[in-house]
Amino acid sequence: MSNVQSCYQCGKCTSICPMRRVSKTSPRSSIYNANVYGLESKDIWTCLTCGLCPQECPQQVDFLNFIREERQGKQPLDIAHLGVFTELANLSSKLNGNIADKPADSKIGFFPGCVDSLDLFLHDVKTNFGEITTSSVKLLDKLGMKPQLLNMKCCGHDVLWQGKKDIFDALKAHNKKYIKESGIDTLVTSCAECYRTFSKDYDLGIKVVHISELLDKLGLKIDADVTFHDPCRLGRHMGMYDAPRKALTANGVRIKEMEHSRENALCCGVSNFMNCNEQTKALRIARMNEARATGAKTLITTCSKCLAHFNCLKTEKDAVNKYDFDIVDLSVFLARQFGEPAKKEQASAGSSKPEV
Amino acid sequence: MNAEAQTPIGDAWEPNILAFCCNWCSYAGADLAGVSRFQYPPTVKILRVMCSSRVEPAFILKALKDGADGVLVAGCHIGDCHYIDGNKNAEIRINNTKKALGKLGFDKRLRLEWISASEGLRFSEVIRDFTEEIKKLGQNPVKEVKK
Ligand code: SF4
Ligand code: SF4
Ligand code: SF4
Ligand code: FES
Repeated sequence: MSNVQSCYQCGKCTSICPMRRVSKTSPRSSIYNANVYGLESKDIWTCLTCGLCPQECPQQVDFLNFIREERQGKQPLDIAHLGVFTELANLSSKLNGNIADKPADSKIGFFPGCVDSLDLFLHDVKTNFGEITTSSVKLLDKLGMKPQLLNMKCCGHDVLWQGKKDIFDALKAHNKKYIKESGIDTLVTSCAECYRTFSKDYDLGIKVVHISELLDKLGLKIDADVTFHDPCRLGRHMGMYDAPRKALTANGVRIKEMEHSRENALCCGVSNFMNCNEQTKALRIARMNEARATGAKTLITTCSKCLAHFNCLKTEKDAVNKYDFDIVDLSVFLARQFGEPAKKEQASAGSSKPEV
Repeated sequence: MNAEAQTPIGDAWEPNILAFCCNWCSYAGADLAGVSRFQYPPTVKILRVMCSSRVEPAFILKALKDGADGVLVAGCHIGDCHYIDGNKNAEIRINNTKKALGKLGFDKRLRLEWISASEGLRFSEVIRDFTEEIKKLGQNPVKEVKK
């Protein structure tokens, strides 16, 4: 249960809310409506669950939990791409799905997340999401870890935040069984959303590690200026700000911070594949402008969704040639220093490049 | 209840196929099949869309999730699309959807066919062929798991 009853309506949350800059969203009033009238307000759907407002709240109101509970069982106002990823998760949650056939020799498992479906359904975003998996596996190999690739169902992050807990529970039950059968004791993820979900919404009883915690030992010497975008799931949700930065600086990279970074980082705008509209596009533009202002040639992040939404902006007509920096995933950036991306190895057997 | 359960599946179960037909060619093709009285099994439910590229992957996934045994997307032949190259986009989309479905073992339940307005015969053949294939595959596993 969230503790919204303790809200005393100071309005600090509304003043910090990024959505408030571009719309009439008000977290304060959605709490007011719920507390006083027991009413549902439209704002529960426009919230990005970015986690900025709970940081400001003098009463420590657990706003994210409130939003998540309010959404359960209701129909979201809008889901981007007509909810194709939700439908895919829903379909797979209804099937039996495969279970690790034999406990592999490796105690470390790597979960690639939904990069394959991002490649297939966002083919016009022109980003090779599958490379995140190949790169991550390559880097883990370099560190002598030889991970086992986990062929699980979707972690369920998006459906959970979209208010579809029944689907989430089905996915979770399957994945927990899979992890148990596979016999791993460490689960490594590269996606910030998977990391949050496995750490906080599953009770796995094994170690869940984000790949950026491991990469500082690569011993690379890279001469480059980059800027880093904190994904909300890794930063504010999990409090991990230093690990990805250390992974970069320990390998020689110089980081030029954006105007808003770490705890104050701006959201990419389209969390959980909800709210892809004019308002959130304005937020994305604001973030991209901050990145451009640093003068860095590369924007690095560790969430495949942030990557998708930022790269998507680059392909829009009015933004072409405006942003002349690359937007890449942390592992991909580091792995590229070992030479060009290797051909699709068996590691990425499931992943396929978009055809166009 | 019991008597029903004992009837062999082959008799009781007929595939349930959803066909998206584009307005300008395939729907007219289906129409022609009817007018010309070409026989095809009653396993298909036709949904008219303006162009094959109107069919979003989300529609297909939703149909399969809700228990459709097969989904057919039919459009004009390449080069004939009423909207110039809608069907080229549809081809990319449907093929990508197929790949995504492959992971779940559903790829054979999705078909993309080009059927022109004059190919009534071909329409009935496609439906017959697809129905046979779905019969071989059996029911949509979503339904079995549900039971
Ligand atoms: S900041 Fe906290 S106490 Fe103030 S209005 Fe928002 S939720 Fe209520
Ligand atoms: S979580 Fe973020 S988007 Fe949602 S109300 Fe709070 S500040 Fe606004
Ligand atoms: S911003 Fe994200 S959700 Fe919106 S169209 Fe682009 S990839 Fe899709
Ligand atoms: S109008 Fe027939 S496929 Fe586009």
